[in-house]
Amino acid sequence: MRAPSAIARRAFADSRIRTLAFAYLFAGAAYANVAGYSSAYPTLAERLSFVHSFARNDAVRMFYGKPYELLTGGGYAAWRVGGLLSIFAGAWGLLAAVRALRAEEDAGRAELVLAGTVGRRGTLLAALVAIGVGVTILWLGGFLGLALAGLDLGGSAYLALAIVSVAPVFVGVGALASQLAPSRRIAIELSSAALLTAFLARVVADTSTSLQWLRWTTPLGWVEELRAFSGAQPLVLLLPTGVGALLLTLAGAIAMRRDVGSGLLPARDRTPPNVRLLSSPFAQTLRSERASFAAWLLGSGFFAFVVGVISTSIPSAGLSGAMRRELRKLGAVSITTPAGYIGFSFLFFVLVVSLFACSQIAAARAAEADEQLETLFALPVSRLGWLAGRLLLAAGAIAAIGLFAGVCAWAGAASQNAPVSLSQALGAGANCLPTALLFLGVAALVYALAPRASAGVNYGLVVLAFVWQLFGGVLEAPRWLLDVSPFQHVGLVPAQAFRAGAAAAMLAIAATAAAAALMVFRRRDLMGG
Amino acid sequence: MIQTRGLSKRYASTLALDSLDLTVAPGEVYGYLGPNGSGKTTTIRLLLGLHRPSAGSVELFGIDAWRHPVEAHRRVAYVAGEPFLWPALTGAETFEFLARIRGGVDTAYRDELIERFRLDADKKVRALSKGNRQKVQLIAAFASRAELLILDEPTGGLDPLMEVAFRETVTEAKRRGQSVFLSSHILSEVEALCDRVGLLRDGKLIDQGTLAELRHLSAQTLDVTFAGPPPKLDGLPGVRITSAGPSTLHFEVTGSVTPVIDALAGHPVSALSSREPSLEEIFLHHYASSNGHARA
Repeated sequence: MRAPSAIARRAFADSRIRTLAFAYLFAGAAYANVAGYSSAYPTLAERLSFVHSFARNDAVRMFYGKPYELLTGGGYAAWRVGGLLSIFAGAWGLLAAVRALRAEEDAGRAELVLAGTVGRRGTLLAALVAIGVGVTILWLGGFLGLALAGLDLGGSAYLALAIVSVAPVFVGVGALASQLAPSRRIAIELSSAALLTAFLARVVADTSTSLQWLRWTTPLGWVEELRAFSGAQPLVLLLPTGVGALLLTLAGAIAMRRDVGSGLLPARDRTPPNVRLLSSPFAQTLRSERASFAAWLLGSGFFAFVVGVISTSIPSAGLSGAMRRELRKLGAVSITTPAGYIGFSFLFFVLVVSLFACSQIAAARAAEADEQLETLFALPVSRLGWLAGRLLLAAGAIAAIGLFAGVCAWAGAASQNAPVSLSQALGAGANCLPTALLFLGVAALVYALAPRASAGVNYGLVVLAFVWQLFGGVLEAPRWLLDVSPFQHVGLVPAQAFRAGAAAAMLAIAATAAAAALMVFRRRDLMGG
Repeated sequence: MIQTRGLSKRYASTLALDSLDLTVAPGEVYGYLGPNGSGKTTTIRLLLGLHRPSAGSVELFGIDAWRHPVEAHRRVAYVAGEPFLWPALTGAETFEFLARIRGGVDTAYRDELIERFRLDADKKVRALSKGNRQKVQLIAAFASRAELLILDEPTGGLDPLMEVAFRETVTEAKRRGQSVFLSSHILSEVEALCDRVGLLRDGKLIDQGTLAELRHLSAQTLDVTFAGPPPKLDGLPGVRITSAGPSTLHFEVTGSVTPVIDALAGHPVSALSSREPSLEEIFLHHYASSNGHARA
């Protein structure tokens, strides 16, 4: 029994950071939404007005799904928290399955394990046990958030269960994709496509009148049909567990008979040479990052478009308490105007683009860890030039993502005839850049100084700064301590003026940090993985 | 070509390389031998300016490798011990990329090497075995016609046929006047290819010279068969008996063999053969004496 349990513990440890981050997100989002609802709509009259305006909006339903009961905190949580977090539970499930089942094979570690005393079945079961522990942790996060916000324990447990019920289905999807796909990347692409399909099916079911039955075809719809806090239908749980079990059985059956390291789909490993974008290390970086650039660009563009569409339909009654507090703190912007809503929402795009900056530095570190830099720097390639080029490319991509989000927000708003001009929306996008460049510069310096720890430190800094900006005010921290977070200094363009002074300061720090990073990087030992 | 003076590298508490003085002349093939962890890769990283010397200096073509790496690398090609490369590129794309960065390649020779090493150049690197990725590196390095080739255990993962192809390629490079710095622990390879050999142990260069010079300092092996019982040779200076039969003696002699010849005179010797030490014996002789190093 010892060997399988060692495998399970290894599998859990490999993804523990992601699991804990998701659990933290579940707890935080659950708590903040329920607490915000109770303080924003204390009376029945206010709740009725909320139901009649905000919740009937189709654009809102796209994101959060169909509401059944909005007059209680629990019902609101089931709609708002359940609708959003169930998507994350699905994403976690597929990532966990592909990590444990396909990435291990890609890296060749699965062969080592299988060469030992544990067979394929044992390895698979051990990985699934580890994933099961992860699901339990996610459930616990959601449950604690809901219960601490004051919902009754039984209902909280049931809603948290409804949310994580999506996970087994997408663990099954990820497991199956891991058998079909010849590589980790393709397995993730396949299963992400399945999640997107499930999401689109729910969007159609929730926003149309004639295609409501589609809700029964998607795991995200089953979460709604579980009806937490509005006449629970626990029998629906049979669907996700049944489908999950079916997919896993199928995946298991394939795993027993296929060759380790290969998938059922043929690998496209032979191609005629394509020498575009190979003229320099800079061009080659662009070549290897272009898919990731496109994904960030389109992803944030899509969400910006949704923000633009919603911007016209935010009635004053739809404001949660947390949002109101946030806005008071930031200087009384009314988010009931389209420009106000876009300005407020783009604070989240500042976060997104800053996280993108971290991902770029993480990619630079990966090139060093994989010893590609050793090959490169043994050629006549200057380290200074390489890192400077890398930063320049990241800065260009940051600008493109921010501005494209602005354009998309404008397009969304224009589709609803909202009075938002293109230049206003572009301003909102451009407003993301100083903060993201600041984090890029700082992340580069951390990378130069402590390459092995840099990814964790950099993502941690951005998330911490953002969370501190959101909740520091609630904790009534002193002003100077709040001001440590760069997000505190972001004007809500276009509703507020662009804070030129703060932006200039951020850019100056970014430039200094980047220059220091270049000097340090030039003078340190290269460090492989 | 290569010139190091007092080159040392310390990582935290361990001294990985201890004041190395090394010279590689133009057109020379230099074998750099040592067990795992003796500091071979550290030396190469210092030669290439990838790691910063704690003390001493490295010059390639008279250019300081740490201060001016780009200039120093213009005439150098490197083959890394761990062939990671870029998984998403095919072999052919890798050749193109590396050639463009370097700014020059002998494409005819490259095609010849692709043929010789039997590489499927249209396969993506991520789908190649370690040996095949090693071939990609070797072909790219030799096709560059760089004046100095720095090879870090380049034949790990190559099968015996490819090992032959590798030796042929190094010999060609030598004939063209290219210099080769070959780090290895495959002794037959070094013995076959190298003009001079350096022996590294625990970060220290313990011996250096041509094979003939190294042999001179080491023992030679004698096998003698007698018509009668063998004489006693134990007490002679520099003699170590490895095995003795009823009428045979196998022993090693370090230094002069004259006392042995004198001692054998007058005994009925029916057969005598002497053998120079192989590099393996030199190697074992040097490393077996140090504690903690297995005879491997």
